[in-house]
Amino acid sequence: MIDPYYLQQLAIGLSLGMTYALMAIGFTLIFGVLNVVNFAHGEIYTLGAFAGLVVISATAPPVVAVIFAVLAAGALAGFSLERLAFKPFRRFTDEASLKSRAMRESTLLSSLAVSIVAREALELLFGSQMRSAPAEYLINTPVRVGPVILVTGDFIIFGVAAVMLVGLQYLLTRTRAGLAIRAVSNNPLGAKYVGIDTDRTIILTFVVGSMMGAAAGILMGLYYGAVFPAMGFVPGIKAFVAMVMGGLSSIPGAVICALILGVSESMATTFVSSGWSDMVAYGFLILTLVFFPNGLFGARRERV
Amino acid sequence: MTRLLDIRNASRRFGGVLAVNDVTAHVDEGELVGLIGPNGAGKTTLFNLISGFTPLSSGTVAFGGRPLAGLTTNQVARLGMSRTFQNLRVFPNMTVFDNVSVGAVGALPQGALGALFGGLSESGRQRSADISRRTWEALEAVGLTQVAGELAANLPYGQRKYLEIARALAMKPRFLILDEPAAGLNDTETRDLAAFIKRLHGQGLTVMLVEHDMTLVMGICQRILVLASGRKIADGTPDAIRNDPAVLEAYLGVDA
Amino acid sequence: MNVSDLTAPGQTPSGLTAPDRRRGWILPALVALAVFVALPAALAAFDRGYFYQIANLALIFVLLSASMHLVTGVAGLLHLGHAAFYGVGAYTAALMTSKLGLGFTVTLPASGLVAAAVAFLVALPTMRLVSIYFAVATLAIGQMLYLVMLNWVEFTKGPNGVIVTKGFELFGFGLSGRIAAYYTVAVVVTLCVVAIGRLSHSYYGNALRSIREDDQCADAMGVRTVRLKMEAFTLSAFFAGVAGALWAHMTGYISPGDFKFSESILILAMVVVGGLGSLPGAVIGALLLILLPEGLRGLGDFRNVMVGLVMFLSILLLPKGLLGEVSALGLVRRQFGAAWRRTAGGEGIGWR
Repeated sequence: MIDPYYLQQLAIGLSLGMTYALMAIGFTLIFGVLNVVNFAHGEIYTLGAFAGLVVISATAPPVVAVIFAVLAAGALAGFSLERLAFKPFRRFTDEASLKSRAMRESTLLSSLAVSIVAREALELLFGSQMRSAPAEYLINTPVRVGPVILVTGDFIIFGVAAVMLVGLQYLLTRTRAGLAIRAVSNNPLGAKYVGIDTDRTIILTFVVGSMMGAAAGILMGLYYGAVFPAMGFVPGIKAFVAMVMGGLSSIPGAVICALILGVSESMATTFVSSGWSDMVAYGFLILTLVFFPNGLFGARRERV
Repeated sequence: MTRLLDIRNASRRFGGVLAVNDVTAHVDEGELVGLIGPNGAGKTTLFNLISGFTPLSSGTVAFGGRPLAGLTTNQVARLGMSRTFQNLRVFPNMTVFDNVSVGAVGALPQGALGALFGGLSESGRQRSADISRRTWEALEAVGLTQVAGELAANLPYGQRKYLEIARALAMKPRFLILDEPAAGLNDTETRDLAAFIKRLHGQGLTVMLVEHDMTLVMGICQRILVLASGRKIADGTPDAIRNDPAVLEAYLGVDA
Repeated sequence: MNVSDLTAPGQTPSGLTAPDRRRGWILPALVALAVFVALPAALAAFDRGYFYQIANLALIFVLLSASMHLVTGVAGLLHLGHAAFYGVGAYTAALMTSKLGLGFTVTLPASGLVAAAVAFLVALPTMRLVSIYFAVATLAIGQMLYLVMLNWVEFTKGPNGVIVTKGFELFGFGLSGRIAAYYTVAVVVTLCVVAIGRLSHSYYGNALRSIREDDQCADAMGVRTVRLKMEAFTLSAFFAGVAGALWAHMTGYISPGDFKFSESILILAMVVVGGLGSLPGAVIGALLLILLPEGLRGLGDFRNVMVGLVMFLSILLLPKGLLGEVSALGLVRRQFGAAWRRTAGGEGIGWR
């Protein structure tokens, strides 16, 4: 019989991993699948959380309305992000410049700059301290499952992540839009030649990915009961690590690696201390980059 | 004649494909050799095996009597083997002079300490002067001194070709490999290039041309190696190659 | 045929003017005059500690920006963890002072060396990564070093920070007066920036640039790419470490918050705004991003938004930065006459 203490830690790790997975799904869609370096996803997450918070504190609407408001905010943020930080740098449409290092690095820098502006603007508007939603909206009511204690949020997050994962796989593999996304990701110029509107496809991907990011943000805000301008940075890093470990373009891979990451961190917290637990993610990232450049599951991908 | 490059039973396998299959060939000091073959014959792979870019699956490659196994590309380059690239790879955001100086500084490395304190010692100043002189000599050899201060990206296509050659010459190589130098040039430009290559060869440089177009190679090379489907199918003078049934089949049999 | 026929007749090399020996010394002399005479005189006239602090801070960030220029601008390695090496230097100086009682004369070189040693160790496994993967690895390394500063409480005192008990001194001779401290910072920063200038404006610098442009091609030209990348990364950490020692002794108190991710981005923004690959640009970028927010203090916390805005607008509108590499190299070549003297048409092109 396993010590219930460790079971509890495992459960905490898995639920932590689910929260990373939630973030990693949208992130992998934009960064990995569309093959675009997006450093501002963490701020989309934060924006989602603040949008939810503002709606809740302004009108105290039903949960469904909050979700729609957050998704709308995410879609708008994703659209603006793409127009501001990415579109201006697709100046030339020849193959070499679309895949060039210069374009990747300038969009990395521009998305980084946009993320700074967004975060600091939120800080100007709301202050840097943590805010919380009213208690009735929080999703941290304890639930006992056998020997371990979970909270309602764990089930909600699990459900949402599962819906996102399945929905996205369906979108990518079964619909025309998904086909267009995969085509643009593989060969933007070729996609253009066969009549795909690459611009619209890229916007669509940003919108879908950012809606997921924003939903993740409000869920996390309600799960932890804390919303603050810098909240997106650490989950952004974790999602990035999960994506790299999962082999960049694989959404299920990213989800599995997010779970591995969560469990490892909760074990690190158990055995060392919570301050050091972020070290696990950074360590995983370096190890993966150095030893498994194709991700843990060996998915093949051109290294750029 | 001294043997400069010696390839013995070289093979390279990519997955299930033998891109280069048991090739044995050599280049002697002072030769002007052509390496030809239809598209997909394994020319580029053989080239990469020679320059240390791709490791061998089996066999050996020796340069100047020294086996190249285990050497990195830049070590091989410093032994005196320099090259140009098929799809022009000049350094676009550097001036013509600086582009060529990279070849010179590759052969005569200037370290961080040399950069910091080189001006203070006689040997350091000498090193900079040597790099500079080599760079100018290479620029003179290809006739680009007038545009030395231009950005490489601003040069027309033809001049960028010569810039690549100048960069390779600045290494003072023993062996120069030109990868498809005539690609993208018109007939006049190709003729000028042929004359230029002959002149380099006349100054004692060993040169190998890798081409899939036969005209340039047939015109100037003393000896030609022919690859097809990863194997060496012929090795001889242009006249012998022209009448070799195996070569005719490789070139015409596939296309016709 | 003659290959030089390819050159259009009458075409003169651009950017090359007849050498003017006298003019070559005007700009450096003006800069030296400003840094060592005019500015200290102005500071002494106002005599407000706050102004001294701003001047020192600006100089330290000039050094940080210049050191990042070496690794990111010249060698083309996108570095997202530079502030951590600045922190390693600052912590080295602070801990050597508070635990061992050593003075600035020892801690200054030691900080640079420790930061360089740490950079060398972390570069060993990561140097083969390319492009954005390298960038992300440096982000992770920077964050790991930050976590060490934050969490290794027994050694670094964690979030409480370290009080640096000693100011500037040279072989026991105290330099902690306001004007003496300014001169100390100014001399160290100037020496380091000149050294970085020598490194980036030389054939060594050309080899680094070739790696940035096309590392495979540089490799085929005999350039030892991996080794040079390590050198650039390590040297840049050395200078960041020196900047850290200056900061530690200048403020007398350091804490992990001074070296977090956003500081790395601030330094990166300076280099990007100034123009990647341009050392004068890096200096201008640093001055701009330190002094402008101070000038706009009335706007309160707007400073941080401005860093992002300036960075974004300069990437969008000035992809080459305020003083792009090409014009900066032309400027440096003219000002310092760094030419291997040559008769026909090539004056001012080579490096000395």
